[in-house]
Amino acid sequence: MSVLRPLDKQPGLNTATILLVGTEDALLQQLADAMLKEDCASELKIHLARSLPLPSDVNRPRIDLIMFVVNLHSKYSLQNVEESLRHVDATFFLGKVGFLAMGAGQESHCSIHRNTVTKLANTYRSPLFFCDLEREGFRATVAQRLVRMLQICAGHVPGVSALNLLSLLRSSENPAPEDL
Amino acid sequence: MSVNQQDLDPDSTTDMEDITDAEEKLIKECEELWKDMEGCQKKLSLVGTETLTDSNAQLSLLIMQAKCLTAELSQWQKESPESKFQKLRVDLELVLSTVQSKNEKLKEDLEREQQWLDEQQQILESLNVLHNKLKQQVVTFSESRVFDELNTKMHDIKEYKEKLLITLGEFLEDHFPLPDGNVKKKKKNVKESTAQLITLHEILEILINRLFDVPHDPYIKIRDSFWPPYIELLLRNGIALRHPEDPTQIRLEAFHQ
Repeated sequence: MSVLRPLDKQPGLNTATILLVGTEDALLQQLADAMLKEDCASELKIHLARSLPLPSDVNRPRIDLIMFVVNLHSKYSLQNVEESLRHVDATFFLGKVGFLAMGAGQESHCSIHRNTVTKLANTYRSPLFFCDLEREGFRATVAQRLVRMLQICAGHVPGVSALNLLSLLRSSENPAPEDL
Repeated sequence: MSVNQQDLDPDSTTDMEDITDAEEKLIKECEELWKDMEGCQKKLSLVGTETLTDSNAQLSLLIMQAKCLTAELSQWQKESPESKFQKLRVDLELVLSTVQSKNEKLKEDLEREQQWLDEQQQILESLNVLHNKLKQQVVTFSESRVFDELNTKMHDIKEYKEKLLITLGEFLEDHFPLPDGNVKKKKKNVKESTAQLITLHEILEILINRLFDVPHDPYIKIRDSFWPPYIELLLRNGIALRHPEDPTQIRLEAFHQ
């Protein structure tokens, strides 16, 4: 199965699964650890991948949320994410995909401009978070946000659907004039 | 829901029955929901996949999102009564208005602070400019003035010194000339000095130079070239002093101390 589909399997009991896609293995691992430390009523499963497509021989649970992690210091990481996006089914983008940009704090090392990532997120109508994953405090904050988002995307929060959340997150951003 | 169990003892097992009834009900509901889900799952797996490219992503996603939102909205309206919605809407509107007013206030504060900062910076800049100007003035001013003052002082003093020396020389020449050769002592046993006599001016020069060259030992030996009456003159008027232990040595009185 080379294309990821959101509802291809039955969900696990009280389980929410997130897939983190990015080239920064060590930092993704640290983010995963931070997320597991959060209090959560549901059981969390975190999958890490360098890129998509995922190997098809592995038996994995249904994925509820995909976060693409882009390192603003490395053009390769952006390329990697752009290529991985082609292996995601369109229905995933109804609130079950997010982008996380790291390294915005050190302007001098950034080889990708903020606007590039913002445009990418706008093109795929998905939320964009900025976080310096190397700082523990910021990492814990973004881990908290991701856990809440994941719970909603897995349907564990009654009354809020992934699409609702998406509308809430997107309405705070005005579309850029060049998009109109 | 019809009860399947046989009631053996209606009175004592009523509560237990209710609980088990409720449990059974729930379990049945869950199973039905699960069956529905499996049905939906099958339908979904029949739907084809579609991937996006950058060019078509926005439009197709917007259309898809709009469709799904309307579907969700109709689902919501079917399920829950209007009142729940309204309460939620009222609460949200309240939150929205408070957040908006806070936002406005913050913007105003920010503007005010920004203006204040700009004014302060302007003041700082003009003060800096003024400060630099004054600093330059003071430095250049005082340096050159002191330098000029010292120069003129030096010049004046040098001139004055020259004038004094000239006046002294003239005065000494006029009033204390060297004696002519024809003053001779009658007594033959007094030896006439054959050394060339030097003027009083020169004697004084020697004394002055000695006093300033060697201040700790300003004495000079009385030489034959000194005309004795002049020596007496200097000694008697307190201009020169004898050495306390050696009568052949004299020094200039230290008028400057």
